Amino acid sequence: MSLLEVKDLSAGYGPVAVLDGLSLTVAEGEAVVILGANGAGKTTTLRAISGMLDAKGSMVFDGQSVLGARPDKLVARGIAHVPQGRGTIVDLTVEENLRIGGYARRDGDVEADIDRWCEVFPRLGQRRTQAAGSMSGGEQQMLAIARAFMSKPKLLLLDEPSLGLAPLVTREVFDRVGELVAETNTAVLLVEQNANLALDFAARGYVLESGRIVGQGTADELKADDSIRRAYLGGDL
Amino acid sequence: MTTTDVPVSTSVAGDRRAMLMRLAPWAVIIAALFVLPQVLDDFWVSRVTGWIPLAVAALGLNLLTGYNGQISAGHGALFGLGAYAAALTINAREGNFLLGILVAAVVCFFAGIIIGLPALRIKGLYLALVTLSVATLFPDLLKQFESITGGSQGLRITSSQEYRGELQEFLVEWKAPSWSGLTDTQWKFYVLLVVAIVCFLMVRNLVNSRMGRAIVAVRDNEVAAEVNGVAVARVKVITFGLSSALAGVGGALFALKELQLSPNSFVLTISLYFLVAVVIGGPATVLGPAVGAVVYGFFNDVINQEVLPERFKPATPLILGVALILLMLVAPGGIMGLVRQFGAWLSRRRTPPPITRKASS
Amino acid sequence: MIGFQLSEFLQYGVIGVGNGALYAMVGLGLVVIYRSTGLLNFSQGEIAMFSTFVVWQLHDLGFPLPLALIAGMVAGALFGAVVFRVAVQPVGDPHTKPLAVVIVTIGLFLGVNAGAQLIWGTGDRNMPKLFGGGAVQVGDLSIAWQKIGAVAVLAVEVIVLYVVFRRTKLGLAMRAVASNPESSALSGVPVSRILLVGWGLAAALGAVAGTFAAPDRGLNSSLMLLILVYSFAAITLGGFDSLVGAVVGGLVVGVVTEVLPRYVSFLSKMPLAPAFVLILLVLLVKPEGLFGSKQVSRV
Repeated sequence: MSLLEVKDLSAGYGPVAVLDGLSLTVAEGEAVVILGANGAGKTTTLRAISGMLDAKGSMVFDGQSVLGARPDKLVARGIAHVPQGRGTIVDLTVEENLRIGGYARRDGDVEADIDRWCEVFPRLGQRRTQAAGSMSGGEQQMLAIARAFMSKPKLLLLDEPSLGLAPLVTREVFDRVGELVAETNTAVLLVEQNANLALDFAARGYVLESGRIVGQGTADELKADDSIRRAYLGGDL
Repeated sequence: MTTTDVPVSTSVAGDRRAMLMRLAPWAVIIAALFVLPQVLDDFWVSRVTGWIPLAVAALGLNLLTGYNGQISAGHGALFGLGAYAAALTINAREGNFLLGILVAAVVCFFAGIIIGLPALRIKGLYLALVTLSVATLFPDLLKQFESITGGSQGLRITSSQEYRGELQEFLVEWKAPSWSGLTDTQWKFYVLLVVAIVCFLMVRNLVNSRMGRAIVAVRDNEVAAEVNGVAVARVKVITFGLSSALAGVGGALFALKELQLSPNSFVLTISLYFLVAVVIGGPATVLGPAVGAVVYGFFNDVINQEVLPERFKPATPLILGVALILLMLVAPGGIMGLVRQFGAWLSRRRTPPPITRKASS
Repeated sequence: MIGFQLSEFLQYGVIGVGNGALYAMVGLGLVVIYRSTGLLNFSQGEIAMFSTFVVWQLHDLGFPLPLALIAGMVAGALFGAVVFRVAVQPVGDPHTKPLAVVIVTIGLFLGVNAGAQLIWGTGDRNMPKLFGGGAVQVGDLSIAWQKIGAVAVLAVEVIVLYVVFRRTKLGLAMRAVASNPESSALSGVPVSRILLVGWGLAAALGAVAGTFAAPDRGLNSSLMLLILVYSFAAITLGGFDSLVGAVVGGLVVGVVTEVLPRYVSFLSKMPLAPAFVLILLVLLVKPEGLFGSKQVSRV
């Protein structure tokens, strides 16, 4: 059974419809990527799934319909979203960002978990009481991801984690996230411009065009597909 | 041979009809206003006369806030400045009403320019804060400069007349010229109305001009306006000046209507009521402020005075406040916005959607 | 400055500090709301006035004043929260739609003011002093207990707010929402409930300020009109998003607007003038105020 099952999803901004009957699934522990050109609706898809936008259609998460639920309720259910441009809370310290990440949790282990994440990302540990806004782009991305993990998600939505990062840093971020999701058996739905990197990371992918899914397959199938290579992988691999 | 899409209705006759359609509401409104004093008794004519200064001041505020996007919660101060400027001029110049109005306009224009300069740096909510404090301060200013304004005693528009062999100051009176066959009250209404109509027509022409488009462009996107060659700073400052001049004319009309002024007439709430009139009537529409002024006047002079029992008199601002919030939530375009929507709906129902045909030329 | 006497000067200063404590209390509420919703709440004073009437009403019904005050704070908090949810929140973001937000707060201003007149009439009501009518003599100086009480209560408010904002989960959420509502929501923070709490808190602070202001000024529907302008001057000076700024600004504005008009005859009838000049100058020269964060300069 799929962890997330989206059917016929339509959403947009006010009168402007961006998604037009989109359907996709993510299985438990699976990493899935959405490829697509600028303006195809990738970010909108993630925002609709995390409850930031009003949407029509059907959306079932973990066996329950979650269409129309507020973002904070969805976090409690197990969907964590790292928005584009990192979305750290820049006026709070690193530690406070992590604490906010655990806001919806009702167990008493939040403080212990903060310590744990500061060990997992030593650079966050070193800057524990520093304002998040004072850190570098890569560090902020790590923080945003750690904050998302603080809510103990079953599904992690990642929007363009490579945006504005140097290639080496991007590679590091992907490696770390890869280890973490494997460790915690967290499913990932990824939106990423860098298709090469994304298809190495994900097991499966969808191709989005004008708010609709126009293609899908395993990462290997997509890498081998000529039209996809031309459109998203910069011609030759 | 070229082929172009031409809407069926386009023709010279159609153009003329469209223009008539545009002018028709104006003609109807102006005609109705001129007939009004003939059907109402003097008591009501006098009350309705009191709505005219409010309409003109709201017209000025709408130019600034509706069309140009600069929020002023302090136009009551400019209204008051205009009123005192007019009254002092008329007192000094033996009852020259027209000169009083002109002086009020000029004084307030320059006052507006002076306020408009800091407003280049202080915007949005913060400009509302500054102007709100100007409005709160204004009555104190009047009291401080007692020697000129008469302080709390107030200021009367008077002229010297001989009384028992001595020159004495008497309150100026409105006297209808005998050729008009009007009562004094009717005459006063017509004079104020004509001034107001001139103001509304001037604003109508202004907003349809190049300058008017610049004013709106600055509101919608300052950067884009600047890129397109609009001198943003100049447009904003001049708009502030023109808006203030109109508020001043409104104040002058208020002075002419009342013939005596006191600081109590220019407290903060008057500034807020101007905003109420603009928003209820319809921001960024020419006729909106007039509609808003009528609605306010109706509440204040009809519902409050005639309908509500003494105990419930304070209900008027409560109703207006609630109406304001509701309007903001459901119809931010005000009454004129609703009228337009209704008009568009009507014309959609009456005429089938415009068909285009291939016209060969 | 003819006939300057130190004791007289100090006496005016004491009065100024007493007033300043009120401005600071209202200012704290304004800051709480500004921080969470980016909004200058022009109806803050009227909500405070309304809550003060609730305090008076309960006291009039026989409740002891401190108890009535606490009940009034709760009533004010509920009222503020409802007002936010029903009228303010649906209008949208104050930075993209300033006119709509100004209009709604002005609608509230008119409506609440009239509502109070409808319920409690237009005459003055007598509010007893929370700290009694006595005074302490220090040399030539007479300091009313009520003023000392106002300063003490202000100090308590500051400490409580500091603890709430720095030491509680709720306060952390409030700061998170103020900084980045979207990321906060995506982290599981119920954003609109947090904003609601902010409005309630601000209204409760207003009830305290009103209860201190009412005995000297007479409780009627225009109780908070001028106080609101002074409080805005206070937070403009201190910085719109700074709690410390509200306190320092409030005390400075209180003293300056009390002392200056006593010695400068030009200002004798307009104590508001220094407050106005302060608002204008700070916004022009240093929009973030003394203690505010730079962000505020997005004016």
